[in-house]
Amino acid sequence: MKALIVDDEPLARRELRRLLAAHRSIQIVGEAGDIDEARERIESLAPEVVFLDIQMPGGTGFDLLTRLDWIPRIIFTTAYDRYGVTAFDVNALDYLLKPIEPERLAVALDKLRATAGGETHKGSPLEQLFVRDGPRCWFIPVRDVSVFSAEGNYVRIQWGQERPLLGRSLAALESKLDPQRFFRANRQQIINLESIRSMELGVGGRLHVQLNDGREVQISRRQARQFRERTTV
Amino acid sequence: MLDSATGLSVPRSRQRVATSVAYWALQFAGWGLYFRAQASGEVIFADASWSQAATLWGGVCVSGFTLTHLLRWIIKRGQWLSLPPSALLIRMLLAIALLASTLHVITIALSLAEYNTSVAPILGALYRRLPPDEQLFNQFINSLIVTLIWVGLYLGFAVQRHRYDAQVHRAELAQLLNAAELRLLKSQLNPHFLFNALNGVRALIADEPARAQDAVTRLAHTLRYTLAANDGELVTVARELEMVNDYLALEGLRLADRLAVVRDIAPEAAQARVPVMLIQTLIENAIKHGIAELKEGGTLRIEAHVANAELTIQIINPRPISAPVPHTQGTGLNNSSERIRLLFGSRASLRLDLSRPGVATAEVRLPA
Repeated sequence: MKALIVDDEPLARRELRRLLAAHRSIQIVGEAGDIDEARERIESLAPEVVFLDIQMPGGTGFDLLTRLDWIPRIIFTTAYDRYGVTAFDVNALDYLLKPIEPERLAVALDKLRATAGGETHKGSPLEQLFVRDGPRCWFIPVRDVSVFSAEGNYVRIQWGQERPLLGRSLAALESKLDPQRFFRANRQQIINLESIRSMELGVGGRLHVQLNDGREVQISRRQARQFRERTTV
Repeated sequence: MLDSATGLSVPRSRQRVATSVAYWALQFAGWGLYFRAQASGEVIFADASWSQAATLWGGVCVSGFTLTHLLRWIIKRGQWLSLPPSALLIRMLLAIALLASTLHVITIALSLAEYNTSVAPILGALYRRLPPDEQLFNQFINSLIVTLIWVGLYLGFAVQRHRYDAQVHRAELAQLLNAAELRLLKSQLNPHFLFNALNGVRALIADEPARAQDAVTRLAHTLRYTLAANDGELVTVARELEMVNDYLALEGLRLADRLAVVRDIAPEAAQARVPVMLIQTLIENAIKHGIAELKEGGTLRIEAHVANAELTIQIINPRPISAPVPHTQGTGLNNSSERIRLLFGSRASLRLDLSRPGVATAEVRLPA
């Protein structure tokens, strides 16, 4: 498994390298000392797992994640949990507290292997989004999102009960989404086709779509024809 | 351990309701029983009619009930229980005399109205061998005893409750104080620095044991210095800079070539005295918000000199240009400002100058 180490401290990188040397399944393909370097390396080296420090000069590990189109598996490493990483949804990621205990690292790597299935790589549609809204953070599986709505230059994500705001435009997001699954319903919204419960014809050729979470979305006349073509069985 | 005190603090409102219920029950029961004893005694031993006895003792007991309740209101309002014992004693003696006399007068008045004698028949029967004026005096003693019993019971309960409340309050205060001390200690220990330093040491142990040993020694120094520091303590600049040097050496481990330090300390400044941990706090800030935030790092300047009996310390560091100027000074700087103000008054000052882009200058002026 290809791994990238992101940490601004050379000694911390050295220490993690040494700890990882005991694990044959991990092949360290590179290191980065700040988030710009990290972004570059993630795009060029396509690591499957990134060991990511949180506090770094020029931007935090979270900042890096919000800028990535394709997010590898992430294991956070932090000396002191000022950001509450330990309270994250641990199914989505793991974290290691520095100094890292070899046993704890082994557990994290086991977990990584156990959940490794479903190979994703660069160029394939967006599968996971990292969203930071105020003090809260989420790893959101894109297929679980029912609606993306434009809000100014940002996108409001409707994901279960949560409504986090994503810092990109709807158009930029649309180009990364799986067109088999997501459909541009109107100028403001992209809907998840899997989350449609029912639909009915509206005035002037529009379509009213009811989603599984009870929400209603209108498909504009312009898009309705295309929608019918896409969904006709 | 921290929870032991919370076990004591039953919600205040519930406690208040409980004491209030107890008070009213005792008040009704006490005066009711007194009425029943006196009125029935008067019917049995003095051949009085029930209606006359009930009127006389009913009047006395209702008055007693009202007057003692009034006294309770005064005691609470005047917070008599918080007074020193002698002041409480004087007030209570006056209140007792006034209350007993009023009850005495009411008894005489009602007795005159009902029976046309100034001594109530039951007391007259009880003290029949005494001359009339002494009977009247004993009637006063009777009122006094009733008053004393009420005051005794009331004060007994109220003082106990007051003591209990005070104890709970003390426990809560102690708990708050503990929590505040703990928070302070945590902030002084700077956990982010501590764990990063430990991580650095772990990395060095195998390849560079000598550097690892040196780092452990320096870490021990900084911890000892931090733990020993007392709020009001003054140390020489030289002593404080020893701590700062250990700290910077440890930060140098993790920041590597990103951190350079230039020191310019005048000899007379080295011997001047400063509040303990003051320079250290400024240095920590300079690293945390300045050099550690810069990819290429930078040079930290520490300057100290004395002029016109004034010590000036300057910590100058680069900082990210894009970083917004913090809207608050941060607790570390605020605490330091407050500390030097308490220790030196208006002759001292601490200023953080962020007016130049990309540079932060912290300046302390103290009387040398």
